Amino acid sequence: MPLDTSIYPLALLRLDGRRWNELRRIHAQVSVQAAADGSSYLEMGNTRVICVVLGPAEGKDKGQRGAREGEAKVGVEIAVAGFSGMERRRRVGNKRTSEMQHCLSTAFSSLLFTHLYPHSTISISIHILSQDGSLLAACLNAATLALIDAGIPMSDYLTACTVASSASSSSSDTATSDPLLDLNGLEEQELPFLTIGAVGEKVSVLMLETRVRMERVEGMLAVGVEGCKRVRAILDGVVRTYEKKFG
Amino acid sequence: MPREVEVSVNERAFIQQALQENVRLDGRAFDAFRPLELTFGDEYGVADVQLGKTRVIARISVDVTAPLPERKFDGIFQIVAEFSPMASPAFEVGRPTDAEVILSRILEKAIRRSNALDTESLCIIAGLKCFALRADVHIIDHDGGLIDASCIAVMAALQHFRRPDVVVEGEKATILSVREREPIPLSILHQPLCVTFSCYEDGERILIDANLAEEQVRQEEVIVTMNRHGEVCQVAKYGGATVEPLALLNCINMASQKVKEISKFIQTKLEEDAKKRDAGGLMAELSAENER
Amino acid sequence: MSVSATIILPGDEIPSSTLPQPTNKKKPLTLGPGLRHIPPDTIVTTVAGALATDTKKNAVWVEYNSGRYLPSAGDLVIATVNNSAAENFNCILTPNTPPATLPHLAFEGATRKTRPQLYPNSLVYARIFNAGKESSPELTCVDPSTGKSDGLGPLKGGTVFQISLGMARRLLAGRKGGVIVLEGLSEKVGFEVAIGRNGMLWVDGGNIKTTLVIGKAVQEVDEQALGEKGQKKVVERVLRGL
Repeated sequence: MPLDTSIYPLALLRLDGRRWNELRRIHAQVSVQAAADGSSYLEMGNTRVICVVLGPAEGKDKGQRGAREGEAKVGVEIAVAGFSGMERRRRVGNKRTSEMQHCLSTAFSSLLFTHLYPHSTISISIHILSQDGSLLAACLNAATLALIDAGIPMSDYLTACTVASSASSSSSDTATSDPLLDLNGLEEQELPFLTIGAVGEKVSVLMLETRVRMERVEGMLAVGVEGCKRVRAILDGVVRTYEKKFG
Repeated sequence: MPREVEVSVNERAFIQQALQENVRLDGRAFDAFRPLELTFGDEYGVADVQLGKTRVIARISVDVTAPLPERKFDGIFQIVAEFSPMASPAFEVGRPTDAEVILSRILEKAIRRSNALDTESLCIIAGLKCFALRADVHIIDHDGGLIDASCIAVMAALQHFRRPDVVVEGEKATILSVREREPIPLSILHQPLCVTFSCYEDGERILIDANLAEEQVRQEEVIVTMNRHGEVCQVAKYGGATVEPLALLNCINMASQKVKEISKFIQTKLEEDAKKRDAGGLMAELSAENER
Repeated sequence: MSVSATIILPGDEIPSSTLPQPTNKKKPLTLGPGLRHIPPDTIVTTVAGALATDTKKNAVWVEYNSGRYLPSAGDLVIATVNNSAAENFNCILTPNTPPATLPHLAFEGATRKTRPQLYPNSLVYARIFNAGKESSPELTCVDPSTGKSDGLGPLKGGTVFQISLGMARRLLAGRKGGVIVLEGLSEKVGFEVAIGRNGMLWVDGGNIKTTLVIGKAVQEVDEQALGEKGQKKVVERVLRGL
């Protein structure tokens, strides 16, 4: 493995020079696509995604599979560009993306006021241009921005980030372990981490995919919720500067 | 056209009302599993799990192939879970529903990615030959709790399975049949098990092991996978209603307890089965007498 | 009616001795479900079940408990509304039967303006008006001759329980069906029930506990195929619990 985690306890600096609770640079734009009802572009470090929202419009499939009657269906499509990862590889319809699509769809169906648009579909398409960790978090943040841009009513908004536990899962001393906020691709390969999507203080999305001691989870969650708040402040700023244009 | 059996408005209201009065329709406590039944087949590696009315059969089979070029020292392990129309009229062949994708994805993360099975032990000759293990999950009857039941079935089947022994001489590997050499159990590093929590009333009420009707009424699910050593292997909460972080930690604590109970249950069942197979014990095997 | 306990299997010939001895010679023999007549005078069963005869009506049929519900005219069913179309509601009887139609105006006193609003997944107690082989079954909630509902219509509150088709038929047959559990319970507690031939039992006992207890009692009788003695025991136990 390329990353040597043993350095971390000495200098308390991560590979890219960040401290444990530092986010990477987040750069975001809204209304980047003229043709769409809402769109956004988001960078979290080197992870770049573009998100386009269409609708609410009459759904193509009349059957409305998977949606409850009298509510809009939230359809999500995630396209991973062939050049986005380390290896150039064409992957069509793998299970990881369909899981992410399902996650976004359920997360936003309960957040948006879907009952206002019966028999219609809100479609979110996300293009992943570059991957460097925190992919699901970036998708959630970008979708939030694009949905705000599209002006679809929602109860509150969802922001997401990732948190890792810096000690490996085998050692049991909790004292030396620090939760790390906002991982890049290398750290993600090395450390057990979770993706958390929060609405205010409450958790909407939680995905943990690597083995970790149960005692660690508490600290990770706490840092995660805090991190989501910081992401929210940044996205808030982006939306506010954009809305100023309407003076 | 077959369709998903949705609960009626009346049932939905009834279940919610009952939960407010702290009653579950089948009279269980909120944190209780349905009666769990586990039986093994005549062959090694067949486990039949019944969780209330839900029934899942897992079967392990093995084959010898060349390992993947990027993983020369590892065997191949694959979990295949498909819904068949026999379990519920809502399932169709060839059109994977969201639930199906989630099930196979969770099993993948819980069992394969958490390294429950030591795939290196499946390697015969590095880069040339390895065992390819395949776990087939069959949903026989669907009354909710598919993920929990499937995970129990796969883990039990893996622990029950015996692979044939192999002798390597240079480049030549000989698979010894069951008659020549006693087959050997798989090397299993830990036993992940899933516990699905269903939340109602914005996370105020949390149920374990919801049945189909309760699943349809719930606002969201939290799937926690743990092993009995207190390690969390996987947590998945795909959106839905928001809950307090504290409630999630509570779920993890509850899961750890449940997983310990289920692990113990699987262990006793495995021991029972081993005893049954070894009917006469070593003495019977060694005796030269036969039935004639 | 005498339900003889002769168990018959598909393909069995019915010996003429078991056929009802008609009191009225002129009345022709009527064959009910599960029987087939091969001229000149052979009667063959097509399903497995218990042979039942009625000497008064000179009828013979097979009582069987199949898994699949086939709609037939006159049946009382509990339908689930799927959606509302221009003229009618599309209803589901069971997941495997074709959707049934319930006209908007087939309710007591319904006009274009006063027709009931039924949302998807609400329950309706209805009668099957006609059910052909080629067309989807049609439901109604009024008696066409009187214009009265006779207790049919939307079901409010309560909940439904799944029961076997045989149980539903026995419950609807009343005393003749040999199911006394509901009567036994009704002596002490008040509740409302609706029985659908499509294997559904709707119960409203006013509160959660009563409703549950009644539904579970019927399901228990159904699953364990309890006789009158067993049913009495269930009733006693349930009443003690309340």
